Amino acid sequence: MRRGLMAWDAQELPRAALEDRLSRLRARMGEEKLDAFIVYTNIARGAGVCWLTGFTPYWNEGLVLVPAQGAPLFATALSKRVAEWIASVMPQGEVVTTPKPPALIAEQLAKSGAVRVGVLELDGFPAGHAQTILAGAPGVELIDATAAFAAARAGMDPAERGLTLRADALARESLASLAAEAALDPLALVAACEQGARLGGAEECFITLAPDLGKPGGFLRADRPHAFGSAFALRVSVAYKGVWSRSARSFGKEPAAQAAFAQAEAAFARLALGPGETLAGALARVFAGCGQVKDWSAEQPRGSYPLAAVASADGAAEGFDPASPFVLNVELEVAGLRWRAARLLAPGG
Amino acid sequence: MTTAAFAARQGALAEAMKREGVDLLLLFGNNWHADHLRYAVDFGIQEGQGIALVHPDGSASLLLDDPAECERARSEGLSCDVVFAPALVREAKARLGRSGNRTIAAAPFHLLPYGLLHGDSDLRVNDGAKIVERLLMTKLEAEIACVRRAAQLADEGYAVFRAAARPGRKDYELIAEIEAFFRTKGVPENFMIIGVGGQEVRGMAPPGGKILKAGDMVTTELTPCFEGYYAQICRTLVVGEANEAQKRAFNVYLEAMVAGIATTKAGVTAASVAKAENDVFRKYGLGEYTTSEYTRVRGHGMGLFPDQKPQILEDVEIPLQAGMTIIVHPNTYHPEVGYLVLGDSVIVREGGCENLCGTPRELFSVQ
Repeated sequence: MRRGLMAWDAQELPRAALEDRLSRLRARMGEEKLDAFIVYTNIARGAGVCWLTGFTPYWNEGLVLVPAQGAPLFATALSKRVAEWIASVMPQGEVVTTPKPPALIAEQLAKSGAVRVGVLELDGFPAGHAQTILAGAPGVELIDATAAFAAARAGMDPAERGLTLRADALARESLASLAAEAALDPLALVAACEQGARLGGAEECFITLAPDLGKPGGFLRADRPHAFGSAFALRVSVAYKGVWSRSARSFGKEPAAQAAFAQAEAAFARLALGPGETLAGALARVFAGCGQVKDWSAEQPRGSYPLAAVASADGAAEGFDPASPFVLNVELEVAGLRWRAARLLAPGG
Repeated sequence: MTTAAFAARQGALAEAMKREGVDLLLLFGNNWHADHLRYAVDFGIQEGQGIALVHPDGSASLLLDDPAECERARSEGLSCDVVFAPALVREAKARLGRSGNRTIAAAPFHLLPYGLLHGDSDLRVNDGAKIVERLLMTKLEAEIACVRRAAQLADEGYAVFRAAARPGRKDYELIAEIEAFFRTKGVPENFMIIGVGGQEVRGMAPPGGKILKAGDMVTTELTPCFEGYYAQICRTLVVGEANEAQKRAFNVYLEAMVAGIATTKAGVTAASVAKAENDVFRKYGLGEYTTSEYTRVRGHGMGLFPDQKPQILEDVEIPLQAGMTIIVHPNTYHPEVGYLVLGDSVIVREGGCENLCGTPRELFSVQ
């Protein structure tokens, strides 16, 4: 659940930015001849509603109905007493608490006479909610409008960019402040890292660790004891006001590994996409002489997902927008060890 | 969890599938509703979404749409087959299609992806609640051991919370300290909300940056988990010395919680426990504050989900069963002092219940 700082700051997220987002979505709705638009949210898939309203539920779920005109309606099963709090941290839209949000949405759709209703990620929309809406608003047709939403959202606006950079700073600073090389207790290291991020105002913080970079294996949760190898890595994912970034660093205990890792880190810090350059090309260029690139992926917000793979070494992911900030995850083979890192790249900023 | 404990859980699931005549069970989850996946394949999903396809012999496939989660699942050495499925719904549907003419059940049914049940070839999938819900509510002894450990962590966490609460600190700084403590104990998740202030406070929410000052009541519910199992504690503290109204109000909540816990035993309904708590409020002329205007529930079940059935409400006729783990918390708004909380986790037993929380039932005072 989200249990860190949740507060709205008009400087960081001006109402005008949200109104502009709403106008962009409505323009797409007009092109697609949609009478209304529905976006689902919960803590795992909160990015769509957060982009529209500035709000992520700390728990439970909700639905935003964007009518053709008027304020968006946020219907949630969170309790009635929480509505006042939601309104204080949700700068756009009206809040209605109800045990059955989809029934309320259906009622609104029926009242408005809406027929063509766009849904973000219809395939992944909760089936029970869809059935309730279709039963309560006969004549309504649910249409997958994921592409329309993506088009409205294309190009990260300055407000979201600012929040992304703040999330990134929290992730980076929490890692930078660690005396990691001397650490013996992985759990204590994770705790210190998380405390730093939360004291800085992180809304949420997920930390995973790769305890031994001398062996195969991925980033693990710190929910059981781990023993550090001679090199290890920490990956910090931070949400700030509903917007996510990640940072990961590798740490070597021996001088040779420390030197090789420092070289890789310096190269990674220099990475920027040249005009027309691919990510694979840029990675090969900056890491030439450091080590062999074994794997990489780029992540950006997509639909209801706060971060989703949009480009990868195997070419499976798609949808990358090179003009907007993105998280780049990299794995190199360095001095007989794996070197894992992640950082935010913010083109044009 | 230990191999033996997980095997016991797999056995219980297989038995329930057999009893309901189900050949294939589809379980869906994400970081909000992680319980079904955790039960069947022992994976605590953090990002993205996942689907487990479980066979009666205990074998399973776990489909995950997040590549890092997939890598983690593989590194954790799960006993099931782990599949990276960026097109989660399409992959699951294809696998169900290939499974032939079988009886398929799925849960949690209302949250299943729409695309799974609809499209070119609609699949016939039954609601699997009957199979899973009872297992989630009524725990095996191995599961109860995890809840018991989580309750100990909740006690330890509240001691940290008390030490962290002092005038001048921001509410989210307290959370930062608690979370750091829990990470050192290997607790990956904690359900926690907080209230800071006086009569104007009507409930708890995530922290908003309030600064603690003398006279404030600070309410919280801490819900750490161990091996995926949650236990909760609710307590209230006062910054400085509690005033007479706060002490008086607290005594009502204490009496209500004790009455609720005294009523809790196998065979009684959730409604009976709620009534016992609410009768105390009614006795003091505070009956209005037991309604949904002021409070959500008078307690609830806990396990792999921190807020599971049964809800402790006067209209919930679910009988309590031995092995259920619930929290009894008469949390509500008090017209004189504001929102106040007090609650202990218990295990329902035949003839009574076993209290899991050791933190004194006091209105604490911090300087």
